[in-house]
Amino acid sequence: MSGLTSFSMNRTSDKLSLENEEIAIEVKDWNLYYGSKQALSGVNMKLPKNRVTAFIGPSGCGKSTLLRCFNRMNDLIDSVSVEGSILLDNEDMYLKSMDVSALRRRVGMVFQKPNPFPKSIFENVCYGLRLQNIKDKQLLKETVEWALRGANLWEEVKDRLDENALSLSGGQQQRLCIARAIAIKPEVLLLDEPTSALDPISTLAVEELIFELKKEFTILIVTHNMQQAARVSDYTAFMYMGDLVEYTDTDSLFTNPKLKQTEDYISGRYG
Amino acid sequence: MKSWFNKGEHWIWFSASAVSISVVLVFGLLAMIAYKGLLHFWPHNVYDYQVSHSNGQIEQVVGELHDTKLKLVVDEEDSTIVHEVPEYLIKTGNRDVYGIDFKWINSRDLNEGATTVADKITVIERYQWGNVYGYLESLTVNGETIATGEEVEPVLQDLAEKGTALHEKIHHIEKTVMGGINYKIEALRLEQKKLESEDEYDAKTEAEFETKRAALNKEFVELQASMQILHDKADSLGEVTLTIAGNQKITVKIKQVVRFWQPNNMSLLSKVGFFFSSIGNFLTEDPREANTEGGVFPAIVGTVTMVLLMTILVTPMGVLAAIYMSEYAKDGPVLRLVRISINNLAGVPSIVFGIFGLGFFVYILGGSIDDLFYGYAAPSPVFGTPGLLWASLTMALLTLPVVIVSTQEGLSRIPRSLREGGLALGATKLETITRIVLPMATPAIMTGLILAIARAAGEVAPLMLVGVVKLAPALPIDFNAPFIHLENKFMHLGFHIYDVGFQSPNVEASQPLVYATSLLLVVIIVSLNLGAIMIRNRLRERYKSLGN
Repeated sequence: MSGLTSFSMNRTSDKLSLENEEIAIEVKDWNLYYGSKQALSGVNMKLPKNRVTAFIGPSGCGKSTLLRCFNRMNDLIDSVSVEGSILLDNEDMYLKSMDVSALRRRVGMVFQKPNPFPKSIFENVCYGLRLQNIKDKQLLKETVEWALRGANLWEEVKDRLDENALSLSGGQQQRLCIARAIAIKPEVLLLDEPTSALDPISTLAVEELIFELKKEFTILIVTHNMQQAARVSDYTAFMYMGDLVEYTDTDSLFTNPKLKQTEDYISGRYG
Repeated sequence: MKSWFNKGEHWIWFSASAVSISVVLVFGLLAMIAYKGLLHFWPHNVYDYQVSHSNGQIEQVVGELHDTKLKLVVDEEDSTIVHEVPEYLIKTGNRDVYGIDFKWINSRDLNEGATTVADKITVIERYQWGNVYGYLESLTVNGETIATGEEVEPVLQDLAEKGTALHEKIHHIEKTVMGGINYKIEALRLEQKKLESEDEYDAKTEAEFETKRAALNKEFVELQASMQILHDKADSLGEVTLTIAGNQKITVKIKQVVRFWQPNNMSLLSKVGFFFSSIGNFLTEDPREANTEGGVFPAIVGTVTMVLLMTILVTPMGVLAAIYMSEYAKDGPVLRLVRISINNLAGVPSIVFGIFGLGFFVYILGGSIDDLFYGYAAPSPVFGTPGLLWASLTMALLTLPVVIVSTQEGLSRIPRSLREGGLALGATKLETITRIVLPMATPAIMTGLILAIARAAGEVAPLMLVGVVKLAPALPIDFNAPFIHLENKFMHLGFHIYDVGFQSPNVEASQPLVYATSLLLVVIIVSLNLGAIMIRNRLRERYKSLGN
């Protein structure tokens, strides 16, 4: 519960403004098409470093699609074509010369449904490290412990690291996936509705975790739950039908939306 | 009633009865094969029959009741009446005396009351000429009679054991030791030919070769001498004389005796012991007498080797093809065409694969290998002739569609979220496939292999063209380097069944062997499959709860 109070403290203590932020990712004139159908149109936004940015909007508004653009997950779908540029540390991640695997190591992702590999808990967490050919056992152990502590899971699993990850509960599995993602120490962490499959207690655990994680990572989170967006994020982007409608600091967006559309959505009149 | 139909109960009954009919058929088939096959190993009672002939003579027939058939005979007085007269097939043995070892007896000629269980009758299984059925008379060693009547049996027991031990020794020297030397001499000859063809066979190497050859020849001659001693020993074991039906005498050399038993005087326990030792012999011995007697050991080895080799060949081919098609190839008309072709490949008659194997693998591939690497061995082919490798390759091709299709199914069942999970951690597509997708698809791959094994082990037709023979001179696996001889011809249980059952000069004698071999083939396929199923279940256990 202390987490919740600290959220509000954080909010009241200093007024956030994008102008004062260091920028991690910059999206410029971003368009995305599924075949001939446009899913994102002309998105322009700057995503601040070491902050939590939430994407809200009704189903099908393109918020997940946009999130998946940040680690080029959309590449996997044959029919997708894109226009514009997304800069990660002022480097266009959609350049042909970009090493996609290296990019994905810098931009980690946690999915809507927990997707642990059918391996041991330990192997799940160090999967990304093994991909980088890290064989130093001591280093692996330390990193696994660090990641599991970071994901608030260490105390629950420290005695059964060799057990199959599928034996964990849904909430534990999701935190394991977060541990797996942070184990390779990415710069940005994408969370795609990370709590939609979880019960309220697990949700709370993950939300507290997000608050902790933003000290080290830039976090982008897609959520359906507006209370969650209000609770955990510093900035919120409201999207509708592939457009970025309004994007500002969370307090302003929820208390004083500039556009009627945004106000209607957050007050529950549609969506 | 109407509501009964409306509920669809009749459909449930229909489907349930279809299932039960299938189950009954399968188990009935297995039970029949098992019964007929296993009956062959049981020591049957031997009966003494009195048969009257039309000329008033009475003939004594001694043997095992092998089969009963009903013969239709038209009544002599009223031609509208047809009688069913039973006829008995009696295995009388003593082929060298009677010419054939089976006899049909019409029940009308049989003096039923006089049929007795022949007390103290002895059955001798010989290395040649089949069984002897007779009463022990006397035992002679070096022209000297050392036992008569009742005393013969224990002495014969002792001598027969010595005879079998000697036989095994001779067999071992002949097959393994001398076979090994022959193999080396042949290898030497080929090497010489090879050097000669390359013009490198100079005086120095010639001398080297000659010493090697002389050493081998010397070893060979020594072995021959020791073999001669063993043969003499076996000869001097003596001979046993028996009285057979019709008051004739028959003399059997002890070294000819495989084993002997007195079925009518055996306790149940010793009959059971005999039963299992017969099965043991069947599994471990070489066939004799044009495959109608002895065991099927070479066929078991051939079948298992071929199936395992096929598995080794088909797994990478099938799995790689499936990975390419479901992970890399772009969906489109070409891929669809390939899919259709693969599915149809499974429906191509197996003999067509045999023809392809013979034409492509044996003649074209094998012929080219011979031209390129074994030119010096000409005109005798090495790989340009049917053999184990080509048979396994042909079978691999035959079972390829099954492996591809089930692997593809397995790959498509791996949730997308897991692939994305791997990719999101910076894995390349290849790493995701090899580290996550493929391990999780192994149960499905195993399913494909199980089906492939069942199919390959049971095929006969294509194998006849690409490497299976009636009687192989050597096993495909032995103790001579390189231990597995891919160019060798081999024996196969399926072909053995066909050969013994339908190509044999002695149909009656071989019929039980057909059932026994069929049973064995089923058992081998089932145990190969059980092994694969156990591996699959362990893998499934590891990757379970994927469904959520």
